Amino acid sequence: MDFNDVIGYTLRIGVIISATIIIIGVIMLFIFNSSNNFTLNQIAAPNSIVNSSIFKPNEIFSGLPKPYALDYIYLGLMILIATPVARVLLGIIQFAREKNKLYTIITAIVFFNLMFAIFLLPLIIGK
Amino acid sequence: MLPPLEFFIAIVLISALSGILGALTGLGGATFLVPIYTLYLGIPIVYASGASLISTIATSSGAASAYIKDRITNVRIGMGLEIATTSGSIVGALTVAYIYSHHLQFIVYIVFGIVLLSQVYVQLTKSKFELPRPVKPDWTTKVFQLYGKYYDAALNQEVEYLGIRWWLGEIIMFFAGFISGLLGIGSGALKVLGMDWAMNLPMKVSTTTSNFMIGVTAATGSSIYWLFGYIQPFLAAGTAIGVLVGAFIGTKILVRVTNRTIRYIFTAILVFLGIQMILRGLGYGF
Repeated sequence: MDFNDVIGYTLRIGVIISATIIIIGVIMLFIFNSSNNFTLNQIAAPNSIVNSSIFKPNEIFSGLPKPYALDYIYLGLMILIATPVARVLLGIIQFAREKNKLYTIITAIVFFNLMFAIFLLPLIIGK
Repeated sequence: MLPPLEFFIAIVLISALSGILGALTGLGGATFLVPIYTLYLGIPIVYASGASLISTIATSSGAASAYIKDRITNVRIGMGLEIATTSGSIVGALTVAYIYSHHLQFIVYIVFGIVLLSQVYVQLTKSKFELPRPVKPDWTTKVFQLYGKYYDAALNQEVEYLGIRWWLGEIIMFFAGFISGLLGIGSGALKVLGMDWAMNLPMKVSTTTSNFMIGVTAATGSSIYWLFGYIQPFLAAGTAIGVLVGAFIGTKILVRVTNRTIRYIFTAILVFLGIQMILRGLGYGF
């Protein structure tokens, strides 16, 4: 299989998995009428107090065994955000295989920017 | 206020509609989404742009998986320009965090309105030529390997092309990334401008490569949005699902509609929303 197809399938599978998990989370939310000690009405208000600042990505997994719908929704969103990251990572491999030194470095810089925004900035800002 | 289930259905329907409009105009769903959410659903612009930024990743990844098969996207050119868009997106997202924390939301409304109105020009003067005029390669063409070829099914021929002025492309892309981080949109129109106008690439290459880049740009900004709490789960979930469905339907319709009148209708919607956003920013009703 061509490496371009690998990339294409990775993106497609990433989107399908994340959409599925998000839908599961939404269904759970409507069944249980609450999640993470918030009521559905609190969660669904247009200017809701429930937002990503109170959901740390590393804590989301601990909520999964419990019927916490919001943890599933956030997991789905995280997978969605991760698909372009995976795409860039595969890009580095692709250019390295083509022995294209310049573009391997360029793609590595793009990957660094992503990692900087996702992991380093939270530490720097200290939130 | 709508009860939760009705509210959720409204979000999905509106974002599906935005996804269709976005696919048909090539502007991406977010362009229509944020104004409709803020002007008509009473959603704070912080949450509207957070949900919209997430949704652009969904459409980008969804469409990119199809485009890669066509081999029109130029991954080299896209990745090269991503250095600028991701940097711009980080700066833009941090800027908007400053704006929101100082309650200067009106700036975002006004900038959004201006961006919408500026798209009108792009929509009306849409490049009539499928292929760019031939140019002499410059030093960046060689250094950054700005060339490629693809098979054009509409023209029924193999198209070979080369790009120039990499540095100008990078400058425009930084700005595109900044706008994306600032407003929570993909800013595909600016990306296309950078490749089509500055780098002299064929329209098909520009649009597919721009689409591919949007996901990476948005992922960079969305991590900062997450950190500052702009991602509201209920809204983001409904929007992501709706836009995905809408973009899928949009691409199916796209093949059949090429009518000019439709373009004018969309342009009218852009003007209408753009003026309303500016008025809201200036403190008038809506």
